[in-house]
Amino acid sequence: MAIRPEEITKIIKEKIEHFDTSIDVNEVGSVIQVGDGIARVHGLNNVKSSELVDFGHGIKGMALNLEYDNVGCVLMGPDHNVQEGDTVKRTGEVISISVGSDMIGRVVDPLGNPLDGKGTIKTDKVMPLDIVAPGIIDRQPVKQPLQTGIKAIDAMVPIGKGQRELIIGDRQTGKTAIAIDAIINQKNIPVDERCICIYVAVGQKQSTVAQVVKTLTDFGAMDYTIVVSATASDPASLLYIAPYAGCAIGEYFMWQGKDVLIVYDDLSKHAQAYREMSLLLRRPPGREAYPGDVFYLHSRLLERACKLSKENGGGSLTALPIIETQANDVSAYIPTNVISITDGQIYLESNLFLSGIKPAINVGLSVSRVGGSAQRKTMRKVAGTLRIDLSQYQELAGFAQFGSELDKESQRQIARGKRMTELLKQNQYAPLKVSEEVLVLYAGTHGYLDNIEVPDVLRYEKELLAYVRAERQDVLDALNNAAELTKEVEEKVVQVLEDFKTVFKPA
Amino acid sequence: MNSSQRIAAARYAATYDGLSTSVQQAEQNARQLETAARILSGVRAQMQSPRVPLMHKKLIIQETLKEYPQAVRFICVLLDAKRYVLLDEICAQVQTLLDDRKGISRAVITSAQILSQTQQTAAQKALSARYGKTIEAIFKQDKSLLGGLTVVCSGELIDGSIKHQLEKLQQEISK
Repeated sequence: MAIRPEEITKIIKEKIEHFDTSIDVNEVGSVIQVGDGIARVHGLNNVKSSELVDFGHGIKGMALNLEYDNVGCVLMGPDHNVQEGDTVKRTGEVISISVGSDMIGRVVDPLGNPLDGKGTIKTDKVMPLDIVAPGIIDRQPVKQPLQTGIKAIDAMVPIGKGQRELIIGDRQTGKTAIAIDAIINQKNIPVDERCICIYVAVGQKQSTVAQVVKTLTDFGAMDYTIVVSATASDPASLLYIAPYAGCAIGEYFMWQGKDVLIVYDDLSKHAQAYREMSLLLRRPPGREAYPGDVFYLHSRLLERACKLSKENGGGSLTALPIIETQANDVSAYIPTNVISITDGQIYLESNLFLSGIKPAINVGLSVSRVGGSAQRKTMRKVAGTLRIDLSQYQELAGFAQFGSELDKESQRQIARGKRMTELLKQNQYAPLKVSEEVLVLYAGTHGYLDNIEVPDVLRYEKELLAYVRAERQDVLDALNNAAELTKEVEEKVVQVLEDFKTVFKPA
Repeated sequence: MNSSQRIAAARYAATYDGLSTSVQQAEQNARQLETAARILSGVRAQMQSPRVPLMHKKLIIQETLKEYPQAVRFICVLLDAKRYVLLDEICAQVQTLLDDRKGISRAVITSAQILSQTQQTAAQKALSARYGKTIEAIFKQDKSLLGGLTVVCSGELIDGSIKHQLEKLQQEISK
């Protein structure tokens, strides 16, 4: 692009001509104490709660504690430039972020500043970070499916657009992997139905965030994704506002009638950052030293996920919050809080992960409270009884361990369960299209795998998909377009599976 | 000084100020306390040392501040409550309370060049009109302002400096 100096000169001249030379009057206070990212300010008698204040040196702060003779502020930057006696100005603004469609594909900090070195971001609107969630009238029930491309989730714990589905589990159980797969899978979805994705990294290592960005770039997912990053080295105040910043960006697109998927990775660290700030502000500690309003911290964030009514454009904001548990303890304070706020949870277990079941979803404890009504009818018909069947299998498998003799029906259930468990395994970064998921699960639930050895199940799936993609794309198209699994479509599926029987060679 | 100490100092100052029934008395008491604090600043180390017995500290005060009975009684109360360390802050706050009684506001006027007497009077008059109070101004010079002046008064910053205008212009152009 050619740079024309005369145009730039003209713009600068215009700005100078229209420059407002009026004298500024600001309410000011002075810093009486600073440290640990917290400043206590004397003065600012009329400052409002959550108002942004200016400490100079390009450092802003947020007034959180309005006390008898001072104001407790958290600093949104390093505190080593702020000194006792410094002047602090009121801005009269609440904390907000500039948003716009140019943000797509970018990595930003919670204040909207680019972190990816790709230059400034052109924005067209300023959104306050902390706003009240849309009310009842503005919403409609969750009824559209959001495909994650993960068989186990789409079949047993379906997620709807506008839902809040918690991903919970110990460290190293594949929580982030599920969220990333769900983002990558949007590539498989037609552009008009595709979600804009926002990945909010809270308190993670910079290397981890860089890895996530690289993965998303490699799979072409950054074309529709925004990454909001507040890493472990950032002040607690930035970690605290990061999810709200991501949510504000998401809401901008949602009110334009678009579908948005937002991942909060993770809210445990978000709660810890808030605890740190609260303790430094000398707010009274409660259970596990968290402040009393830690429930409200997450409920007001997750309540902003919704499916807007048609009058409001019909956009949606689907939230996938992540919580990291310690030693599988889901009854700790923050996990129980977030479980009670969300519309269901995907519970990942380290035992399952270590025994090779990936994704390591515990079928019994995972649930989706509203996603069922949003599930595709074809999928619902194929996977309707899958959850119950697998639960029964796990119960029977427990019996079988004691060496008890089982009747034929029980043996059949165990054999089917083993194959279904194997079939639900899925590699990372390999999300499937919904038609492929339906075909594979149909094969499993209708006994086409019963005569195949368990170690061959995944090979069967791979070869079946390769065969159908190459030879019978029409069946996948029919499954994709069908609102329901009609007799005609089912006949086509059966035909393909019968044909494949002759092609597949067991080991 | 931390915020709880400031709150404590504010309470002691309000109590001391409350002892006066008129502006003249408040002024006299404030002057007494300020003079006492200035005299005692020479023996600050002894007054704050835990090795000097309380009785000795009180004797020192009674001997050195004979002419200021009101201040002596108040400082003895501070010693009993182990709040002697707050004395300077209490003095400052008593002065603020006295200013409030007298309808005086203090202002710091900073300019790039030293203001002439006429300019200083004009600035004080303008501020008095704005805040409805008598203004006691301190004038400072700061060449980095380049031109114009800034006023800090009653918790407000009025910024009419060239430096601030240029900063605003820079922000505007970089948008």
